[in-house]
Amino acid sequence: MKITIPHMGNVYIAVKILFDGLGIDYVIPPLNNKEALSLGSKYSPEEICLPLKLMIGNYIAGIKSGADTILLVGSCGPCRFGEYSELQLKILEYLEYNVDFIVIDAVKSIGMRELFNRIQIVGSESKKRFPGKINSVIRAYNAMCILDEIESQAHFKAGYEKNKGECKRLLNSCKSEVLSCNQPDKALKILKEYQKRIKNIAVDYSKNPIKVAIIGEIYTVIEPFTNLFIEDVLMDMSVSTKRNLTPSWWLKDMLLKIIKLNSMKLLKASNEFLPLYIGGHARECVGEAVLASREGFDGAIQIFPMGCMPEIVSKAILPTISREKKLPMLSLIVDEMTGEAGYMTRIEAFIDLLERRREHVFAGN
Amino acid sequence: MRVGIPKGLLYCKYHPFFETFFHGLGAEIINSEDTNKSILNTGVKACVDEACLPVKIYHGHIASIKDQCDLLVIPRIMQVYRNEYICPKFCGLPEMVIHSIPDMPPVTLAPLYMHNKKSLYKWCISSGSAITRNRSKIKHAFELALKAQSNYKTGILDQKDITVMLAGHPYIVNDAFLNMNIVNKLKAKGIGIITEEFAPSSITETQIKKLLKKPFWTFKRNLYGASAAFYEQKKVHGIIYLSSFACGIDSIVVDLIRFHIGEFPMLVIKLDEHTGEAGVDTRLEAFTDMLERRVVNENNHPSHGQCLYSSQNSI
Repeated sequence: MKITIPHMGNVYIAVKILFDGLGIDYVIPPLNNKEALSLGSKYSPEEICLPLKLMIGNYIAGIKSGADTILLVGSCGPCRFGEYSELQLKILEYLEYNVDFIVIDAVKSIGMRELFNRIQIVGSESKKRFPGKINSVIRAYNAMCILDEIESQAHFKAGYEKNKGECKRLLNSCKSEVLSCNQPDKALKILKEYQKRIKNIAVDYSKNPIKVAIIGEIYTVIEPFTNLFIEDVLMDMSVSTKRNLTPSWWLKDMLLKIIKLNSMKLLKASNEFLPLYIGGHARECVGEAVLASREGFDGAIQIFPMGCMPEIVSKAILPTISREKKLPMLSLIVDEMTGEAGYMTRIEAFIDLLERRREHVFAGN
Repeated sequence: MRVGIPKGLLYCKYHPFFETFFHGLGAEIINSEDTNKSILNTGVKACVDEACLPVKIYHGHIASIKDQCDLLVIPRIMQVYRNEYICPKFCGLPEMVIHSIPDMPPVTLAPLYMHNKKSLYKWCISSGSAITRNRSKIKHAFELALKAQSNYKTGILDQKDITVMLAGHPYIVNDAFLNMNIVNKLKAKGIGIITEEFAPSSITETQIKKLLKKPFWTFKRNLYGASAAFYEQKKVHGIIYLSSFACGIDSIVVDLIRFHIGEFPMLVIKLDEHTGEAGVDTRLEAFTDMLERRVVNENNHPSHGQCLYSSQNSI
């Protein structure tokens, strides 16, 4: 069995550490690129959301390098993500690729037993004993958490750094160094070292950079290829960004959802505008916008793929939050069109607006 | 007390329940008009751009009656069957409307779970308490409403020599303005129509069980199940699927049906706020012509590479 996974931000690094630790054969498809996108949009339904198209591109690249099993997480609605496995399986069957799908689905829809069975299929490939397996899983989880922290630190400190571009350089060298390392213990050590380095980066807190919250649909905010590397662009502009949705947050959220203790602060903040779960991360998006205004952010950028059902609801709500909480917002809708200029102009204009707004005579009123 | 019930979305399926219930509480019921051009236009203006056409039209219905009523019924239908949702936009419908249309009267915000009587009653209590505090009156109205709903049947069954399945969400199939009067157009062409409601549930169930995952959308269960069942039974000669542009559910269901039926004739009509009918008419004509040739002239053989009347053909 040779496993491949679809891309989502830095998840592949944690997955690599996990599979290296377990000793399971795997293929990490090349990072999302134009080829994956054009292959994906060729074979997927026209109106489906962008993540599915990119995933199809990833699978095809993975299969071509010898993968025969696809590992995917699932959900049980009401957002389209829950139906991905079904449709992707049909598409790959139609393309005459012979692959198995292992879908780590929500406990609610398949039951605890089936979930363990599915995890067992992957687990039985590993020759390690049970404690060793648990150890590898914990290590991979730790790696994911540290990586997310490094990333969020780098994104936030980009506005404060003394030497311009240092945060970005550090982040990039961290990723490439971890990826080239095949020993899980060593990889974790590298991550910890970078964690320290990013903590000790030279910053000047007297600066008062523009602070922007990145909110919206989880895949498009995490996967830089889909949002045209917006966080890198903002780092270059010396804008501090904060993004709440990360892979490690998602994992924690999924686990804590079982006992209903997940992201309490966020949900409490969203209660005023959207008191119920409507699928996807619409409620989180609304909550983050409210929190961003409370935490003194200058603005928020919402990103979602064309046609995303839950985010359309939150897009309808955001103008009210923007009005009531005096928080400028920009909605960016991404799809398989890769025209960059339109997005960059909008982002630049938005940041300009935030800067001028501060200098305005009514600023702070 | 005047209660407004907009004639959009699942009104077509559940209006006896809502109307009987609020009528039973002694409220005056104000319906919006049938969908028309001005409703469409106000809806498109008010609603968030990315939403699908039925949701935009729903906004138009609300805008047209909001000033005449003291309470607006915007059913937040979460689940019709256990663990099966409708669509995320239905779950957030009251929020979408409140934040898009200014000066709204009070609306019903309670979530509506319809899979059992108890949770349905809960919705009735929370919505009815805006009108009366009398619990027994609510209970009585609730029972009447249930009865009215159970006597109400929807769907079109009109089998002829050539019959097509008219698939699509109920609010598209039943709204003559939204679907450009497709039912009458098909009738005028002498084509029979059958809708999802008439698919035998036993075959639907077996088709659904073949799926990798139990569907969590009621629309998917109904539409995929019924299309697959009619196809397996050879009960219809083609499928016409009415879908609105950017519908998330249809983007998956249409392709699942396509993968299942293969070469079987299927026409997908995407509807949006453009109201030019010529394009739809042409497609409909071409599709029915094709069905006629397939059924009448060619005895169901694939026509690819063959001539219609090969003996008379000079080539």
